[in-house]
Amino acid sequence: MRPKSEASTAPGISRRRLLANSLTAAGSVVAASAMGTKAVNAGAADPLITDIQDWNSVLGEGVDAAPYGMPSEFEKNVVRRDVAWLTADSKSSINFTPLHELDGIITPNGLCFERHHGGVAQISPADHRLMINGLVDTPLVFTMEDIKRFPRENKVYFLECAANSGMEWRGSQLNGCQFTHGMIHNVMYTGVRLKTILDEAGVKPEGKWLLAEGADASAMTRSIPIEKALDDCMVAFKMNGEALRAEQGYPVRLVVPGWEGNMWVKWLRRLEVGDQPWHQREETSKYTDLLANGKARRFTWAMDVKSVITNPSPQAPITHGRGATVLSGVAWSGYGKIARVDVSLDGGRNWQTARLDGPSFDKSMHRFYFDFDWDGSELFLQSRAMDDQGNIQPTKEALRVERGVNSIYHNNGIQTWQIRTDGSAENVEIS
Amino acid sequence: MLKFLKLVPVSSVMFAASLATAVAQDADAGANVFKKCAACHMVGEGAKHKVGPELNNIIGRTAGTDEGYKYSNAMKDAGAAGLSWDDAKLAEYLANPKAVVKGTKMAFAGLKKEDDLANVIAYLKTFSAGAAVVPAAESAAPEKPAEEAKPTETKAEVAPVAPAAPAVLAKDVEVPTHGNLHLGRVALPEEISAWDIDVRADGVGLPEGKGTVSQGEAIYSENCAVCHGDFGEGAGRWPVLAGGQDSLTADRPEKTIGSYWPYLSTVYDYVRRAMPFGNARSLSNDDVYALTAYLMFLNDVVTDEEFELSKANFLEVPLPNEANFIDDNRSEEPQYGVKDEPCMNNCMEGKAEVVMRARVLDVTPDKQDDEDGGAASIE
Repeated sequence: MRPKSEASTAPGISRRRLLANSLTAAGSVVAASAMGTKAVNAGAADPLITDIQDWNSVLGEGVDAAPYGMPSEFEKNVVRRDVAWLTADSKSSINFTPLHELDGIITPNGLCFERHHGGVAQISPADHRLMINGLVDTPLVFTMEDIKRFPRENKVYFLECAANSGMEWRGSQLNGCQFTHGMIHNVMYTGVRLKTILDEAGVKPEGKWLLAEGADASAMTRSIPIEKALDDCMVAFKMNGEALRAEQGYPVRLVVPGWEGNMWVKWLRRLEVGDQPWHQREETSKYTDLLANGKARRFTWAMDVKSVITNPSPQAPITHGRGATVLSGVAWSGYGKIARVDVSLDGGRNWQTARLDGPSFDKSMHRFYFDFDWDGSELFLQSRAMDDQGNIQPTKEALRVERGVNSIYHNNGIQTWQIRTDGSAENVEIS
Repeated sequence: MLKFLKLVPVSSVMFAASLATAVAQDADAGANVFKKCAACHMVGEGAKHKVGPELNNIIGRTAGTDEGYKYSNAMKDAGAAGLSWDDAKLAEYLANPKAVVKGTKMAFAGLKKEDDLANVIAYLKTFSAGAAVVPAAESAAPEKPAEEAKPTETKAEVAPVAPAAPAVLAKDVEVPTHGNLHLGRVALPEEISAWDIDVRADGVGLPEGKGTVSQGEAIYSENCAVCHGDFGEGAGRWPVLAGGQDSLTADRPEKTIGSYWPYLSTVYDYVRRAMPFGNARSLSNDDVYALTAYLMFLNDVVTDEEFELSKANFLEVPLPNEANFIDDNRSEEPQYGVKDEPCMNNCMEGKAEVVMRARVLDVTPDKQDDEDGGAASIE
């Protein structure tokens, strides 16, 4: 494999071919199409160019057809998907972000994965209240209007469910990065620094912990140490510039940068200051990491350094044959910024440093690319991320040696995709 | 939904129009109410039995007769005795299920609002071939002349451009004295106690109250067993609550209250705040004490059926696995704080060989209703 500098420009792919491919993709997990996709219109003129197409002559819809715009009809396959067998019921379940269909670092609002414990609460902002009580000088109640009068900030953070990749502890199970790594999104939040709001009530010196509580039918609660609460946490009401989506906690949610998604309480209605943690259901029965020796780690808050190659991957095979190929992926760390991502094409024998592109923010997703000239041979793709705190993404095997296979949470092991000679891809584990 | 609507004979629609009741029935609003039911019931195309039976063609059906669903004996007996579901009977049942069919498996406490009842029945009717559908507009405002109706226009409805200005002048608004920015208002004690129901491991937050194992058993079989099983063994993929002792180092650990949870306070707190699923906050503090006692009994933490749990004795019986929880020590693993440059070349011997494939298990979903399970669950 050579870097792209030596590769020639890929031949143009016909628009019809692209269309045909996107239609095939509409099903879901795509089998790689035959190598024919490489086909150029050898000699014959492309009718998409020589014929006048409908859209060349007929007027389209006017400006008011969709007061809130939606994606092109040709993008219908780009959706969140769930895995029904994971949970008992859709009201307490999860779906997955289609990482293989996205680029850059921002997840569009409608594609951010969902995880609810009591369904999506629908709350009018006029009816929502946020209370601060416990070890404070003055217990307070805020309306949404009050919250929007505090000084604001804008920050880009990833939110990853602690169970992301949790189905892969025992080995390859789900075939696609949407399912193996899609419990994550990366969004720009607008909101108020939590410290600013807590200062309004006045945290007493003996206040060491914060309990955040949601207004939904699960009344979600998590204990957060006060140092984190006063550091970079936010009370957010906008995502990517517009109001939070209902499924992301409209009208207001907690942002706990770099820490497991379950702590980012949605429909946030109460913050209680205390001197001890509460040991709630979501920090004892769930979101604790069972080790091989029967001990269980609790309060494992930070999300570890992690990366995955999103393209190519099982849902996004290589359809163009050999030649210029864009390998792309995302990397993130709950401890800081991504310093570097290495890519291996041969299953971890040899590594090359990928190119990071786009903005680099603290505790945010980073985008990486590795542009290479595929010779058409079998590949075992891996990516290995490092953060600016010296943490390095381990192999899955190294994690199993340390923790066993029953942890469920915090699996940040290196993912392997096998690329076959027809361009199709599969989630595999290798020797 | 349209498919079902087409089945409604014209004559029955006309018949229904003359029956329009005082309460307007709005099937669309009913769809929203039905969310309360959807944890256990499906309706519409492809509906299957879940915890409760599917509800297509429920109107006119004899109670306890939908094929393939395992009804309570009480429901089957009620059907045999002549109970069938028309508007009135369904409204009565949904308002207070256990008053109509004593012993029904349905754990739902009942819909309290008349509008909700009328609307959800209207919604269910849209899936019942023999039932009449009264569109809300038709029954609510039948006197409206047809000429006033807007001509068909596809333009979407858009909210006003700006909200109305407040009635008070800005300079006359009262500003509180607390805090730095003087925002929000002081929370009242009764507001705090309404929301602050959390219970800590040391018992702080426990309300007054008490309940026995046998009281808990009755509450459990009525409200909880439908999902969690008669003995806490879990129905379908709903959480298992009991058993699993000594399984934490096994190949497939069973993490239950008895085998895994560190603190009993979590049981009380969680049941009070979030259970029964879909009907949270419906149990009294005494009910929750009784249920907690019964869950202790199911897990062999107590063995006496007359055991009474109360605020006073709550901390006396610890859960067996408390000592096995440790704080986060991940940073002791080798991948944290690495000083050396990672290997870049010839890092492993030999060519990579596949030792495991996702497709062997074949549990990746490829259609909407894929129900076949894989090897691990996250809930």
